[in-house]
Amino acid sequence: MQTIALIGNPNSGKTTLFNTLTGTSSYVGNWPGVTVEKKEGLVNGHTILDLPGIYSLSPYSPEEKLSRRYILDKHPDLIIDVIDATNLERSLYLTTQLAELGRPLLLVLNMEDLLEREGIKIDVHRLSQMTGAPVVTISASKGTGIVELKETIETCLHEKKSALCPLFSNFVERYINHLIADDYMHAIPEGRPVRWAAIKLIEEDELFLSSMPAIPEELDGYLKNAREELIAHYDDDPEAIIIDQRYKVAEAISKDCQRKIVEKKSFNFDSIATNRVTAIPLFILIMGAVFYLSIGLVGGYTTPILENAFAFVGEKIYQVAEIYGVFPLLSGILVDGIIAGVGAVLTFVPQLFVLFLLLSILEDCGYMARIAFIMDRMMRSLGLSGKSIIPLVIGTGCSVPAIMSSRTIEHQKQRELTVIVTPFIPCGAKMPVFALMMTYFFPGQWYIAPMIYLVGVLAVVITGLLARALDKHKETNAFILELPRYQIPTVRNVWLQTKERTVGFIQKAGTIILISSVIIYLLSSFSFTFKAVDADASMLAMLGRLIAPLFAPLGFGFWQASVALLTGIAAKESIVSTLSVTVGTSHLGAFFNPASALSYMTFILLSSPCIAAISAMAKELGSRRKLLFALLWQTGFAYFSALLVRYLVLLFQ
Amino acid sequence: MQMTMDELTVGQKGAVKAVRAPKQLKRRLMDMGFTKGVPIEVIKLAPMGDPIEVSIRGYHLCLRKAEARKIELI
Repeated sequence: MQTIALIGNPNSGKTTLFNTLTGTSSYVGNWPGVTVEKKEGLVNGHTILDLPGIYSLSPYSPEEKLSRRYILDKHPDLIIDVIDATNLERSLYLTTQLAELGRPLLLVLNMEDLLEREGIKIDVHRLSQMTGAPVVTISASKGTGIVELKETIETCLHEKKSALCPLFSNFVERYINHLIADDYMHAIPEGRPVRWAAIKLIEEDELFLSSMPAIPEELDGYLKNAREELIAHYDDDPEAIIIDQRYKVAEAISKDCQRKIVEKKSFNFDSIATNRVTAIPLFILIMGAVFYLSIGLVGGYTTPILENAFAFVGEKIYQVAEIYGVFPLLSGILVDGIIAGVGAVLTFVPQLFVLFLLLSILEDCGYMARIAFIMDRMMRSLGLSGKSIIPLVIGTGCSVPAIMSSRTIEHQKQRELTVIVTPFIPCGAKMPVFALMMTYFFPGQWYIAPMIYLVGVLAVVITGLLARALDKHKETNAFILELPRYQIPTVRNVWLQTKERTVGFIQKAGTIILISSVIIYLLSSFSFTFKAVDADASMLAMLGRLIAPLFAPLGFGFWQASVALLTGIAAKESIVSTLSVTVGTSHLGAFFNPASALSYMTFILLSSPCIAAISAMAKELGSRRKLLFALLWQTGFAYFSALLVRYLVLLFQ
Repeated sequence: MQMTMDELTVGQKGAVKAVRAPKQLKRRLMDMGFTKGVPIEVIKLAPMGDPIEVSIRGYHLCLRKAEARKIELI
């Protein structure tokens, strides 16, 4: 079995191609840096890897390092360089680096369907001649050219031909040639080409030098002299000279193979999306519309219908069970455990489906990078980066992909802060909890829902301001982000993403929620001596009472609320199913009052996320100490906010 | 006085002379295409005046004024 690596600039369509080639449905979006982990699949019986996008083999952020390490150390049998055909010159800059690695190289010109729109013509044959690599044009999103690509992959794997190395100016080449002939080059690790190593020596690439034995005195003298001569000749440092030389090669190839037929001017959405006046109102409007359409409109319509349907089914089962004399414990598990618990969660499927659908359209069309652009200034004053807004928006759907998407933020402190604040944004799974409380205690009070988001945003702002105030260095870092072309979201991508997230939600209802509902029902029906008892004397009540006093100041110091919070660690929807099993959705008023309901909602909104999000946080933070701090901060913040909310409500009531 | 990219107003064009920045940032900016002689145009300022959007080598990039200040123009 041979391995193939997909590599290319961020947002060049590697994942879409990967999905088309392997028939899988990996996460795709239209902003640079959607893929942050490598993914493996199979094509024609070969392993194929989708790697995070890079602009250069000298990487900056953790996910880019992954790509470089993989390409250099794992020696894939074929490198497929995915090129955004509408962005040929900059893509070829990376190609000049890949060509030097001595591995078979295949160039894939993606998005050929957009070339006409952009008024560009590319001479594929000449591009192949000039790079020494086969070139295939495809449109990954439309699925054209895939058959030819698969055939070419086979040919490449068979022929094992490497591409032409880019040649620099003679002034640079003579040093490279001298170094290639030096004895020291025998020390290069297996599989690393000599020319590549010679260039790295001139550049003084630290990663490379650290993998090599000490440079002998004579060679060191030669290198020092060479670098001095280069600096004198080009008035720049060697690293910059090499970059410049590479871009010269890329420019030459691009100029020779590409023709701009017409300069097409079309209506640009950016004239309002990033306009100084309209940008921020438009952003608020779009996000507002997303929530209104999903939660307000669809949710408002479907939730009562489904609730009644589940209640009806439950009642029928009880009736039937009575007629046939079914063991009451069994019908209890089925109706008060499973149907109450799972049903309470499934009620939210339609509105979450719409929410996931709208979010994936936003992600696919190219608007995300614009939000980062318009919000950067504001985010910076919170110690975050414009890129932090992307996780926050995705977080309204689910915190797990949101936390992972923070990986494109280069600066470590900003990245970690983003990871800590992302769960403050209420995710789709918390929606059922809020809806349950709102319909019971605040029917018709529409302003509560936006308030929840506002409190989440406020928590982000306060945490950010505090972190910034405590940061002694006040260092700011670079914010460099490509603004991708807008595109009409492909039905396939949007559907795959929406389906995957919705199915994931339903699966959780069928597994975690189902099991926990049954366990909760059993624990609340028996005592420690396994006698059937009232819920108040049950095992669950005993366990809940251990921690319930902690929450007494917040107004919900009864065991049911505490147990629900505990099950919420497994999945936030469990809070609803647990409450419906232990309290019953129609008896909430016996336990909560409006003040404690709001404080309960606040606590759930801000406290530590579910276990899946916690493990995503653990992965991104990379240290137990930081994770512990993050969880303590979230929960502490939640505790005091809930306390504050409760007393504010009591004060104004 | 050396002109830098942050001094350009919207719609103004220029050509890069050199990137004067710490090693990492310089490498990053050059990787994105800011090499000697390359033409650039400032397309837009963000709503709060920063960052800026520039057109370079046929694509659009946004970066902060602090970074734009590191890019000297001819």
